[in-house]
Amino acid sequence: MAGGDLVAHVATFAGALRSRGVHVGLGDEVDAVRALTLVDVPDRSEVHRALRIAMKILRRDWAAFDESFARFWAAAPPVRHDSRDTVPSPRPAGAALLRPSMSVEGETSRPGGSPAPPEEGSPGYSPEAVLRRKPFDQCSDADLHAMERPMRQLARGLAVRRSRRLVPARRRETADLRRSFRRSIGTGGELVSLAYRARAIEWPRLVVLCDTSGSMDRHARFLLAFVVALRRVARSTEVFVFNTALARVTGSIASGRIPRIVERLVSAVPDWSGGTRIGESLGEFVSAHLDRFVTHKTVVIILSDGLDRGDTTRIAAAMKAIRSRARRIIWLNPLAGDPRYEPTARAMAAARPFIDRLLPAHDLESLERLLPELA
Amino acid sequence: MRSEVQAVQDGLERLGYIADPAIATAVYLSREMRKPLLVEGDAGGGKTELAKVLARLLETELIRLQCYEGLDVNTALYEWNYPRQILRVRMAEQEGRSAADVEDLIFSRSYLLERPLLQAITRSRGPAVLLIDEIDRADEGFEAFLLELLSDFQVTIPELGTIRAEHVPYVVLTSNRSREIGDALRRRCLYLYIEHPTLDKEVRIIRAKVPGAAEQLADEIGRFVQALRKRHLSKTPGVAETIDWAQALVVLHRDRLDADVVFETLGCLLKDHADVESTRAADIEALVAGARAHQGGA
Repeated sequence: MAGGDLVAHVATFAGALRSRGVHVGLGDEVDAVRALTLVDVPDRSEVHRALRIAMKILRRDWAAFDESFARFWAAAPPVRHDSRDTVPSPRPAGAALLRPSMSVEGETSRPGGSPAPPEEGSPGYSPEAVLRRKPFDQCSDADLHAMERPMRQLARGLAVRRSRRLVPARRRETADLRRSFRRSIGTGGELVSLAYRARAIEWPRLVVLCDTSGSMDRHARFLLAFVVALRRVARSTEVFVFNTALARVTGSIASGRIPRIVERLVSAVPDWSGGTRIGESLGEFVSAHLDRFVTHKTVVIILSDGLDRGDTTRIAAAMKAIRSRARRIIWLNPLAGDPRYEPTARAMAAARPFIDRLLPAHDLESLERLLPELA
Repeated sequence: MRSEVQAVQDGLERLGYIADPAIATAVYLSREMRKPLLVEGDAGGGKTELAKVLARLLETELIRLQCYEGLDVNTALYEWNYPRQILRVRMAEQEGRSAADVEDLIFSRSYLLERPLLQAITRSRGPAVLLIDEIDRADEGFEAFLLELLSDFQVTIPELGTIRAEHVPYVVLTSNRSREIGDALRRRCLYLYIEHPTLDKEVRIIRAKVPGAAEQLADEIGRFVQALRKRHLSKTPGVAETIDWAQALVVLHRDRLDADVVFETLGCLLKDHADVESTRAADIEALVAGARAHQGGA
């Protein structure tokens, strides 16, 4: 096979992979071409192995890779310039889920979608102290506006975690010999003052899964507002919402006023305040997103009342999988604000063994208790 | 298969590492293209072992950097030998040398403690194999630093200047995927994912690593472990566990599997208490019968 031919092959193949959502860069194409000059090109299985190695295909993309490969490097000469169209690309489930959140912009103008200016009633006289203990399910949209400031303050207090990595610091934690000694050159090798190192500050990594089913409707708006405020501080925070299905909405959280963002989220999430399928939604999170977003440093926060009549074994299996990767799992349950509450609902009972902390989340004050848990 | 790839596979096998064509191809390409090889896969799959065997195959030195959370450049790259430097400064004082003189003296190569990365770069007797083990445990900041090192193979030490690699080392990075390795680093490398071995490969590994295991026992162990991996476990056993278990059975002078001995030695294979309990409670008899079923004709 001529060299130019090979390059064209690889480029078209890479295009097909991209159209299936497999990330392949130009550098990977270059590596693929180089690799193909080093192996037996007529040997299909060797070409298959070499391409997978040189294009750095992750394990989770193997199925897509294998399918594309089967179409492309079949016995027939595979270079066709329309080949991008001939490869039917079933849209990955994740992309379908994301669509609603991408159409957000178009929907903001619908009547009622934009936050109404605070009108009659509460806002003027809701002092923050009262607001802090006002149950979310009794709050009005106007309260959401009033809560924006305290929520931002709360989020800023997000307790920081210290990394094990040492960075130069003024705090007197560990002497930094390298810098101290360098400094001492000026004083003839006499260590007059020591330089120090201290443990770096590390923002917690958060993944939030918020239940937006009917029973959670009022709470979900306020909790999402809080999550948006958290994301302002901890930039790596990832946000998912679920009811009968799961959707990643991180991309929809732009800058701007928090209540407005929440309104957009509400209108973008399909089936907001519909039914709940906690087990299926968590299972979907595990299979599609766990590897990518949850590491041993991640704190997973689940916001749900756990009212679901579905199959509890699915919940337990999904929670177990999350447990095996995450640093902590915190479940925020608005019902837990009632001192008589016991996690006996079937879904809650199934999830309970895998939860590090079960905390109430019915008003602003209860959210304050969450922050130290994230450190 | 290209004869060079076959040669790599045979070479690895001679040294006791049973490689499949994917592993051999990856090693061959990484050697020919002079690109680092990033090896991922479940724990106990032979990732670290691959680097060790590669060093023996290339008849060179293995330089290993074990990553951990908080690993920094002082530990990975170089450190000045402070006590020696201080002593030298004191002596220089008595000799009445100038400050600039002293500085030149104590910031020279002989006062430098070379850590693994620098060692790999400065090695004068041909390229070494540099194993950067469990890169997923190090901070992302370290990953970024590594990215720079792996593209230029040169290091700048402020007091000394730039040190360029005399021989670019063969680099193997391993990751247990406790976090995803950054895209940039992965794209700098070639990428190999080692899966759990097939039955045939696993039996050959057992035979190579545990010579005391009879053919029949090795086959039964292989089938048993393969069946076990299909079950829903929180920690699926890797090849390392299979080898441990085979060794245990050989020490116990077993040449066949039976339910009792499996029950007693399951801890060699399963490293999670809940897994041991659930497997014991379930159907050891059936699993053993399944593993032995194929023995009729043997």
